[in-house]
Amino acid sequence: MSFLGYVRPDGSVGTRNYVLVIPQGIIAKSICDFVPGTRTLITADHGSGRTKNDRETIARILIGLGKNPNAASVIVHAASPGVGYPELYAERLADEIRQSGKRVELLDPGKDGGTYGAIVKGIRLARQMVYEASTLRREPVGDEHLSLGVKCGYSDTTSGIAGNPAVGYLFDKIVSAGGTAMFGETTEIIGAEQAVARRAVTPEIGRAILDAVARREALAMATGLDIRTVNPVPANIKGGLSSLEEKSLGAVHKAGTAPIQGMLRYAERPPKPGLYFVDNWMGSLSIFGGYAAAGANLVLFQLGGGGLSGRTLLESCPSVLAPFLWATANPKTYAAATDSVDFYSGTVIEGTESPEEAGERFYRIVTDIASGTVARSETVAYTEPLEMYLQEPRF
Amino acid sequence: MPAKRALIMHPDDNVATAVEEIASGEEVRIPVGTSFRTLAAAEAIPFGFKIALADIPREAVIVKYGETIGKAGVPIAKGTLVHIHNLEGTRARGDLEKGGAR
Repeated sequence: MSFLGYVRPDGSVGTRNYVLVIPQGIIAKSICDFVPGTRTLITADHGSGRTKNDRETIARILIGLGKNPNAASVIVHAASPGVGYPELYAERLADEIRQSGKRVELLDPGKDGGTYGAIVKGIRLARQMVYEASTLRREPVGDEHLSLGVKCGYSDTTSGIAGNPAVGYLFDKIVSAGGTAMFGETTEIIGAEQAVARRAVTPEIGRAILDAVARREALAMATGLDIRTVNPVPANIKGGLSSLEEKSLGAVHKAGTAPIQGMLRYAERPPKPGLYFVDNWMGSLSIFGGYAAAGANLVLFQLGGGGLSGRTLLESCPSVLAPFLWATANPKTYAAATDSVDFYSGTVIEGTESPEEAGERFYRIVTDIASGTVARSETVAYTEPLEMYLQEPRF
Repeated sequence: MPAKRALIMHPDDNVATAVEEIASGEEVRIPVGTSFRTLAAAEAIPFGFKIALADIPREAVIVKYGETIGKAGVPIAKGTLVHIHNLEGTRARGDLEKGGAR
């Protein structure tokens, strides 16, 4: 057995035990401010004026968060600007989340006495649901119930040498135990895409990954810009990275060595366990919410940080339900922000630990946090808004 | 003074990454298998930045992780810093696109 988690009716396992209130807005925020043990999301992406595809992405996020094993039960309200669209009807969101077997309650200001009435009803429901959730106990389960999502950011040359390889070791270990691991950031495999595509379990999946990269590169070319004025971002260049290719070749080390079972859309749930490439965007306010909606019960930010200065406190990026871990291999970053960092692998560069020893230590930290030890970011009550990765024009 | 450390990621690499602050003129040791290769830094190489392991002619590929990370935009001398001032990225270069969108 590897960690202690909350076993849900559909067999998935939570590393946390929240009551989720969705979508964003004054009703959800008021309920969550009143009732400890609840979670909601903050976002400006509510669907109004968005295309059908983008509305389906928003629905995928909300439904996916509802189904995430870290939610014990869910309250859905019908008061967002987007809920007039069929894709975002509160009933539709609730019905799909109910397929996971968990308790789902609906609030409708039209029937529940307006905004004030819906808030009061929601508070009563949430208090009861938090109580019910608290009666559940963690049980020992295996690594096959871990689902991880990773991003590497503020990358520097330590990322490719020792930071991402430690994530790769962790991913290999979880995937070989039957668990799930997701990586992505399509722009940031440009220059390394052949090596990624070769690892796909079928030629079709490999082709799909190459096509996704070609679409991103074509969009970049169409700007007429040297991509280096955009990405690598200034912090990467300050950290010693000289080209997008160099950044990508270091970045893909976080994917370990397991075969790639498929390519997923942003916030799409993997059909079965294994390693997946996600065709998503690197934005730190965007990517982790997408992983949580895809079922991740723990997410990781592998931080370079060579180009960061003065950042001694690292708050979490919005992952809504999934505990959020900071990892770095840069000794300067670690020295500056020691009390925010969950895992440090600069020891590999310093020669005091082998990559395998660092990877094993990372694994123990991850399973401890999955079992209820707080991630350092969970000791900071600050949340950025979630920026959903919506790609079509607005009207 | 003890030699400073830099790392290569693959035997084919023609650059190494400094994992200490290296001053101009200092000796740099790079582990290769069970032995080392050494060279002198021709200029300061900050932590995390790359040093050329050989003379790299203009337009020649720069190799790290055994893969191409760009081309030399100017001739690069052994022992000097390799970064955006002398390494040209070759991917997603919209500015080099003939008849580009702009």
